Amino acid sequence: MSRNLVFSEVRKSFGRTVALDHFSVEVGEGELVTLLGPSGCGKSTALRVAAGFEVADGGDVRVGDESVLRKSASERNMGIVFQNYSLFPHLTVRENLEFGMRVRRIDSQVRRARVGELLDLVRLTGLEQRFPHQLSGGQQQRVALARALAVEPRVLLLDEPLSALDATVRLEVREEIRRIQRDSGIATLFVTHDQEEALAISDRVCVMSQGRVEQVGSPQAVYRYPNNPFVARFVGRVNDMAVTVVSTGVAVLQGGAAKFAVPPIGITSGEARLLLRPEDVRLTSPHRGATALGIVDSVHFGGATTSVDVELKEGGHMVRVTDATREMTCAVGEEVGVVFDTERALLTREA
Amino acid sequence: MRARNAVWWLVLLVATVFYAVPMLAMARFAFQRIPVIKLSWGNVFDKWTAAPLVDSLRNPDFHRAGLLSLGLAVATAALTVLLLVPTMTFAHLRSPRMRRFIELSSVLPFVVPAIALVIGFAAAFRDTAPIFVRSSFGMVPLLVITALPFTHRTIENGLSSLDLRTLADASRSLGAGWNRTIWTVIAPNIRGSIATASFLALTVVLGEFTIASLLLKNTLPLYLAYAQGQNPQGAFAVGLSLTALSAVFIALANRFGGTRPGSRQQR
Ligand SMILES: Nc1ncnc2c1ncn2[C@@H]1O[C@H](COP(=O)(O)OP(=O)(O)OP(=O)(O)O)[C@@H](O)[C@H]1O
Ligand SMILES: [Mg+2]
Repeated sequence: MSRNLVFSEVRKSFGRTVALDHFSVEVGEGELVTLLGPSGCGKSTALRVAAGFEVADGGDVRVGDESVLRKSASERNMGIVFQNYSLFPHLTVRENLEFGMRVRRIDSQVRRARVGELLDLVRLTGLEQRFPHQLSGGQQQRVALARALAVEPRVLLLDEPLSALDATVRLEVREEIRRIQRDSGIATLFVTHDQEEALAISDRVCVMSQGRVEQVGSPQAVYRYPNNPFVARFVGRVNDMAVTVVSTGVAVLQGGAAKFAVPPIGITSGEARLLLRPEDVRLTSPHRGATALGIVDSVHFGGATTSVDVELKEGGHMVRVTDATREMTCAVGEEVGVVFDTERALLTREA
Repeated sequence: MRARNAVWWLVLLVATVFYAVPMLAMARFAFQRIPVIKLSWGNVFDKWTAAPLVDSLRNPDFHRAGLLSLGLAVATAALTVLLLVPTMTFAHLRSPRMRRFIELSSVLPFVVPAIALVIGFAAAFRDTAPIFVRSSFGMVPLLVITALPFTHRTIENGLSSLDLRTLADASRSLGAGWNRTIWTVIAPNIRGSIATASFLALTVVLGEFTIASLLLKNTLPLYLAYAQGQNPQGAFAVGLSLTALSAVFIALANRFGGTRPGSRQQR
């Protein structure tokens, strides 16, 4: 039996708030799919409907070829890790890990062995007698993951499991989750509002807004080829500039005169916004072949990459330039030229 | 600042005197082998004895009444916990409206006098389900209601201090049904509140007079009221000891309620 998780056309409203609007996505066997979107877009609701904590108004959720919506939460056999610390405070780490196995009346010898394996898996061997309040946040979330895996769930649901952790621990636990998920080959739905996290951890990313799916695809696809302006703006950073399209495939910056090429699809005249990734803008010397001229406003050294903010003379647009391939040496206040590489840019009327 | 402190001390002093003087008088009357008429400051420390208490404790009528009251108290505490913990957990998780309703009804005993409650109760059940009126333990539901203002508040505080939703969701996702979730996950985490509520229920029942009297049940307070006529000294000795016992219960309740499970100080 295949163990994929499928949402089809799921609808859910709370009073007048539509939390899920014909929401469909599939998490394949062994795959990790993230739900990415702004706060309130319905990510947790999708997960809670799958888990059985909320009742869908319509649509279906299936694991393999079996619909789970008729089962109660306790019968669905899904491993869940929550955003808030969810370990049972009155039980030790061992007792927490054994909880699900006790419910299933698994023999104590088997339980003991399994607890050992799980603690190995999350690298917490030796902590079985601790109470949750004696663990750090990162350790608690690792125990929570182990507890979810203890019952050999059919799918794993993670609702912002890292958001209560601080930056370094967050990275560490994130890699741990990915490693364990790969090894166990379990279909996993991972909820986050952090686009960097989503791009780093996923096989595929499902970008949501207002209860709807905006785009599903590999991290590369979602980043490089956003379907629509919402995705372009939400995933990664984007230069968002007002332009006027003068003819098919040709535009000028508003307040400027220099013409440059734009994708010849969709908008063929009038005012629009140009969405352009920072790595699709290049710095040049001020004169030859520059799309526009500007003054360096600030330089952000980020280790592997450096970003420069340039204020354009025409129209005063602020443009971010990120160049990973070549060291950018320029000083604040220096005059530079910028070249737009608009092959993958988006034009939109939406502000 | 200083003036306010002085007022505070004065109030405390007056309150102490107000409570302590009758207690002391009771203690002297009950436990000193001196006729009342001869009690004076001069013989405060003379001829103390436990005999009146011991004699009363030997009385089989006292035993019967004491056992009945104790049984009622334990039954009331148990029923209170069995009813309140699941109901209030559901109210917290599912329905804020139900929570407010429970909150309101919990203070009804302050509004409806016990006498009205019993008369209604007796009238309703005398013919329909006479067991509630005849059997001594039939009055347990009434006692649960009488203790509700105290017990509800205590459990409510316990539940509010937990992240109930996350705990319940985690438990259920691991395969536990509602019963198991409530009694093995939620209850242990509010055990302090449950202990406090139980002690408060015990205390209320051990002092309850109206209901027992109207239903003609021979509980401890009724026995004491009757014994006061027969053997005032013995009755006072027992009454005072019960008061002390209640104080111990309340102190215990405070102790348990004071440390929250899972807090760092506990281990
Ligand atoms: N129990 C509820 N009652 C009423 N409205 C709710 C309830 N749960 C969620 N909502 C609403 O449904 C919408 C989606 O909520 P949801 O929790 O799924 O968002 P989210 O994407 O997880 O956001 P966040 O990133 O802040 O966690 C929101 O507008 C929220 O206010
Ligand atoms: Mg959420």
